[in-house]
Amino acid sequence: MSDSTENRDGRHHVESMLMRESLVDREVQRSTETPVYRMLPEAHVIKVGGRSVMDAGRAVVYPVVEALADCLKTKKLIIGTGGGVRSRHVFSIGIDLGLPTGVLAQLAVADSLGNAHILGTLLAPYGVVAIPPEIFGHLLPLFIASAPGVVFNGDPPYSLWEHLPESGRIPPHRSDAGSFLLAECFGCKTFTLVKDVDGLYERDPREHAGAGLIREIDTAELRRRGFESLPFERILIDLLENARLVRSIQIVNGRHPERIKAALEGEHVGTIIHAGQNRER
Amino acid sequence: MEAHPLPRVVLTAIVPNQSAAHKEMETNLLTELGKSLLTGSLEDGRLMAQTGEPPAVQILPEANVIKVGGQSFIDRGRVAVFPLIEEIVENLRRHKMIIGTGAGTRARHAYSVGLDLGLPTGVLSVLGTFVSMQNARMLNYLLAKHGIPFIEPAQFAQLPHYLAERGACIFFGMPPYIYWHTNPSVGRIPPHRTDTGSYLVSEVFGARSMIFVKDERGLYTADPKKEPGAKFIPRITVGELEELDLQDVVVERSVIELMKNATHRRSIQIINGLERGNLTKALDGEHVGTIITSD
Repeated sequence: MSDSTENRDGRHHVESMLMRESLVDREVQRSTETPVYRMLPEAHVIKVGGRSVMDAGRAVVYPVVEALADCLKTKKLIIGTGGGVRSRHVFSIGIDLGLPTGVLAQLAVADSLGNAHILGTLLAPYGVVAIPPEIFGHLLPLFIASAPGVVFNGDPPYSLWEHLPESGRIPPHRSDAGSFLLAECFGCKTFTLVKDVDGLYERDPREHAGAGLIREIDTAELRRRGFESLPFERILIDLLENARLVRSIQIVNGRHPERIKAALEGEHVGTIIHAGQNRER
Repeated sequence: MEAHPLPRVVLTAIVPNQSAAHKEMETNLLTELGKSLLTGSLEDGRLMAQTGEPPAVQILPEANVIKVGGQSFIDRGRVAVFPLIEEIVENLRRHKMIIGTGAGTRARHAYSVGLDLGLPTGVLSVLGTFVSMQNARMLNYLLAKHGIPFIEPAQFAQLPHYLAERGACIFFGMPPYIYWHTNPSVGRIPPHRTDTGSYLVSEVFGARSMIFVKDERGLYTADPKKEPGAKFIPRITVGELEELDLQDVVVERSVIELMKNATHRRSIQIINGLERGNLTKALDGEHVGTIITSD
């Protein structure tokens, strides 16, 4: 794969499996479906909710911090944070000013980064701090080898390049999506969402007391049932379906912080969502 | 813009308890929508539809985004690139241009090596970014004497200034998703590459046009390099294109997908940049290649 070729079409090619190919061609794409290497197979990714945990203050955050500290004794943690109510506020102002989705995505990073620093401060006694997004991805394996864990702003670095939502202006890839994508790229052991509900309910439990908890479901069923409200970003359904390495996630209630460690140890303590079959593959 | 007094938004610095902090924000909000956003679910379809109601501003309505192909253009070297550079220079005083670059054959080589070694899509995305950055640097040096800068995503805040001062600016086409690149449904090649990254720049800034400079006249029913009988399609909608269900298309499929939800950039043009004058015509709003529209 090292010879340079100039062939009849006037383009200088480097010989490779994909040389001269259109990467848009479906056959070419199918030929690239091969097993994926896991960069951090022992690390766990935990997304700590912004509005559901961080904004709830000391009474909720301190016990979660203690639970995380307990996990850090035996496990490597990559902790993402959401932006919470401050992100909602900046969205509302930005939308009123007519700013596009990409700008809203760029603005929201400041809020989850603030929460990452708050959590990083509380986890500092355990050697865990917030890492600036500019160096986080490239240096993650080094951090994980040298520290018990790291905190980062859960958002993906999509910024101005955020995708357009199907409806309205809110960026579709927020901190749940960013934390999940990171877990998938690095081939991490588990992905856990820490929220303020026990998991996924048949209807929003805040509005419908007595709504039934769904303990386990797959993405196909999730789509079929068309839930009006979800305790996580809707785009996660697509991302999980296309995942190659992280094929299930668990949502746990941060008001019962002992469930975080149980989830990392593979116990079923919230709602587990499995990736359904991808029909195209 | 009409001036009217706005309620001041106060974020209390030190608050005794959280509910008070939320109330403070809520009572100072501009709109009902703002209140719903603070308390409601961002997964609620009705609330999301409302967030699209305030009229959108076009940040750079005079700018044109031009994507220069990697494999299709820059990899051809001097014979293709020099005339295009001349044409860009000729247009410097006539049009504002934000120029993105493709990756091309070296990205294909890096993807092949990476695939063989089992590397994930996010890492392939990093590798593709490096190649489109090389191409951006090369175009940058060829345009340097005209004072045209190359900017990375972190420098995009300076883009409006460069555009106002010099009339053009170069960026690498890859969107900066790196390790956070979403997997494709099939295979492992990053689905959002330099066409997508360039297109999203045109959409977010509400640019005047999005022109893809390639080495074919535009869209054909099949790859004209492999099938000489392929038919040229001068104009098509996203819906019609999906119905045709082509095995291969001239722009990344994710551009077509993203165009469906676009607010501003609801048409793109693909042109043959090897033909002198086509870029100028496309900048002037003429139809010289294939125009794809959202509806």
